Amino acid sequence: MNCLLYLIDSRHLKTAIVSIKTFFLFGLVLICLSVFSQTNNDSLLIRVQFQFDGKDLQLNSTCISKQNDTLTFDKIKMYLSKPQFIYKNDLNPEEANSYHLIDIENPKSQQFSVKNSSRKEIIGLKFNIGIDSLASVSGAMEGALDATNGMYWAWQSGFINFKIEGKSSSCLTRKNKFQFHVGGYLQPYYAMKSIAISMEQIQILNNSVRINVDLAKLFDAIQLSQTNTVMIPGKEAMKLADLTKSIFSIE
Amino acid sequence: MKKTALLLVFGFFLCGIYSFSKVYFTPIYFDIPKGFPEPVYDFKNNPLTEEGFQLGRNLFYDPILSRNNTISCASCHLQQTGFTHVDHDLSHGIEGRIGTRNSMTLMNLAWSGTFMWDGGVNHLDVQAIHPITSEVEMDETLENVVAKLKQSEKYQHLFQDAFGTKKITGQLTLKAISQFVVMLTTSNSKYDKVLRKEEQFTDMEQKGYAVFKQNCASCHQEPLFTNDGFENNGLSIDTTLNDVGRMRITQKETDRQKFKVPTLRNVQFTFPYMHDGRFETLTEVIKHYNSGIEKSATLSSKLQQPMSLSDDERTELVSFLKTLTDKEFLFNPKFSFPRKNN
Repeated sequence: MNCLLYLIDSRHLKTAIVSIKTFFLFGLVLICLSVFSQTNNDSLLIRVQFQFDGKDLQLNSTCISKQNDTLTFDKIKMYLSKPQFIYKNDLNPEEANSYHLIDIENPKSQQFSVKNSSRKEIIGLKFNIGIDSLASVSGAMEGALDATNGMYWAWQSGFINFKIEGKSSSCLTRKNKFQFHVGGYLQPYYAMKSIAISMEQIQILNNSVRINVDLAKLFDAIQLSQTNTVMIPGKEAMKLADLTKSIFSIE
Repeated sequence: MKKTALLLVFGFFLCGIYSFSKVYFTPIYFDIPKGFPEPVYDFKNNPLTEEGFQLGRNLFYDPILSRNNTISCASCHLQQTGFTHVDHDLSHGIEGRIGTRNSMTLMNLAWSGTFMWDGGVNHLDVQAIHPITSEVEMDETLENVVAKLKQSEKYQHLFQDAFGTKKITGQLTLKAISQFVVMLTTSNSKYDKVLRKEEQFTDMEQKGYAVFKQNCASCHQEPLFTNDGFENNGLSIDTTLNDVGRMRITQKETDRQKFKVPTLRNVQFTFPYMHDGRFETLTEVIKHYNSGIEKSATLSSKLQQPMSLSDDERTELVSFLKTLTDKEFLFNPKFSFPRKNN
C-alpha cells in the first residue's frame, strides 16, 4: 500500500483521478451505446391492431358487414406464430420459432418484438396464423402455448388457431351468437395459414411496425345466417382459415 | 482489513448455504419389461423423478381437479380394476352426469400413441385436459385448476419439490399427471411369468392361449395385448348414442364405428366391456365374436368370418384371459391413494 501511495504522489494525483474519470465515462458511454444499439438494431416492435372496415375495433361496438349483417364482438383471440422479416437477397433466412397469443382484451399481448438484422433491407414480413402441426403433437407446452390459455381443444388434441365470438341478429342461434373456433393440424384439414406481406423500410416508425387485422374482410365474405358456428376442424374451418389470409396489412 | 475478511468468510458461508438449498431430484429410471417394445412416450421431454411422480399421484387422487371438488381421476379409474370404472356401462362424473362411453383402463400407457376410445388425444401429456374440461366428467377449466393449486400450500411445496419452482403452470400440472400415469406398467401377470419360465400354464390355459393366438392376437397383439389401432368389431349401433367413434376425429367415412383396440391385460376385472360397456362378462364378449358380429362397410378385415369356437374352446379362452391378471399391479401400494408412508 505504501509504495502505491508513493507512486501516485501529489503531482500526479490530479491527472490520475482525471484519467480514471474519463475511463469510467468512456466505459459508461460504451455500455449505453451497446444497450441502445441492441434495441435499435436487433429487434423491431410489432403492434397488432384489430379493425373493422378500416376503423379500430372495440369489443361490443356495432359493426355492419357488406352482407348487411349487424354484429358485435365478444371475444377475439388469435395465434400469430413464427414472425420474421423478409430481407432483400436473403438466400438462407433463419427460421423463427416464437408463438404469440394476441387477445383483443389484453393490450400487452398486442405487441411483441421480432429479431431484425439492421444491415439488411426489409422487403416484407411473414408469419403464421395458428400453430404448426409439430407443436400440435408435442404434448403440454409452456407460455403462449400453455393449455390454460383456453386455446386448446380437449376432446381432440390441437390448438384453436383463432377464436372469434360475438352476436348478430342474423344468427338464428341461441342468444344470436356466432362462434368461430378455427383450428386443426391433420391433413386435409390443417388450418394453419402462412402469411407474407411485402413492406418497405419507410413503414417502420419508431422502431415499430403496425399490422392491421381488418375483420370486415372476413365478415364481408360470409353470411352469418349461413355460417355462424364453426367449432371443429374440417371443411368449414378451412374456408374461414383461408379467408383470414386477406385480413392482414401493414400500415 | 478485519472487516473485509469477516465479510469474505460470511460470503463463503452464504454460498455454502445456497448450494445446499439447491433442489435435488430423485430420478426414476423407467423399466422396460423383458419382451416389451420401446416406449412411445418421450421421457426426454418429461424426465421422470420420484418427486414428479408423487406430485402426479397426488393430483390423480385429488378431487381439486373438478369444478366442485368432488371428482378425482380415481373416481372413474380405480386401481383394483385396472384403473377403470366397473359396474357402469357408461361412466358417470360430476353431479352424477352420465357420459357417452365406458371409461378406459390406464395400463402400459407409455406404449400408447393415441388416447381415448376414438384416439382424439395425440399425446399423454394433454390427455388429462379432456376429463378435466368435459362437462359430464369434471366440468372444470385447466386455468381454474392451476388457480386452485396456486392457492394450496401443499401443492406449492409439491411443485417446488418436483420442478424446482413454485410457479405452477398448466404445462407442469399436466406433465406431473403424466409422470404418474406413465408409470402404470403391468407386466407381472401369470402370462408374463409363464413367458419368463417362472410359472406354467394349466392345460386349459395352454389350450386357451392357442385359441387366443389363432383368433384374437392380430388386434390384441402380445405383449401389450393391443395394437394401439382402431377397428370396427361388428357391434350393432346403439341408437341412443349413435357413436361413430374414430370418424368423429378424422371425419373419414372409412373410420365409421371404429374404436380403439383396448388392452386385455387384467381384463378379468375391467368389466363391463366395449366402448359403451354393453357386455358385462367375458362370456358375452366371446359370444359376440363367435356369432354376434354385424356386417358393415367398415367391419374389421380380421372379423369377416365368425370365430365359431366350440363350447370347450370358449371356456379355455376365458381361462387364458384370466392369466392376464396382474395382482402385483392391481394392489401395488405405490400406485394407490397417497398416504404418508408409501
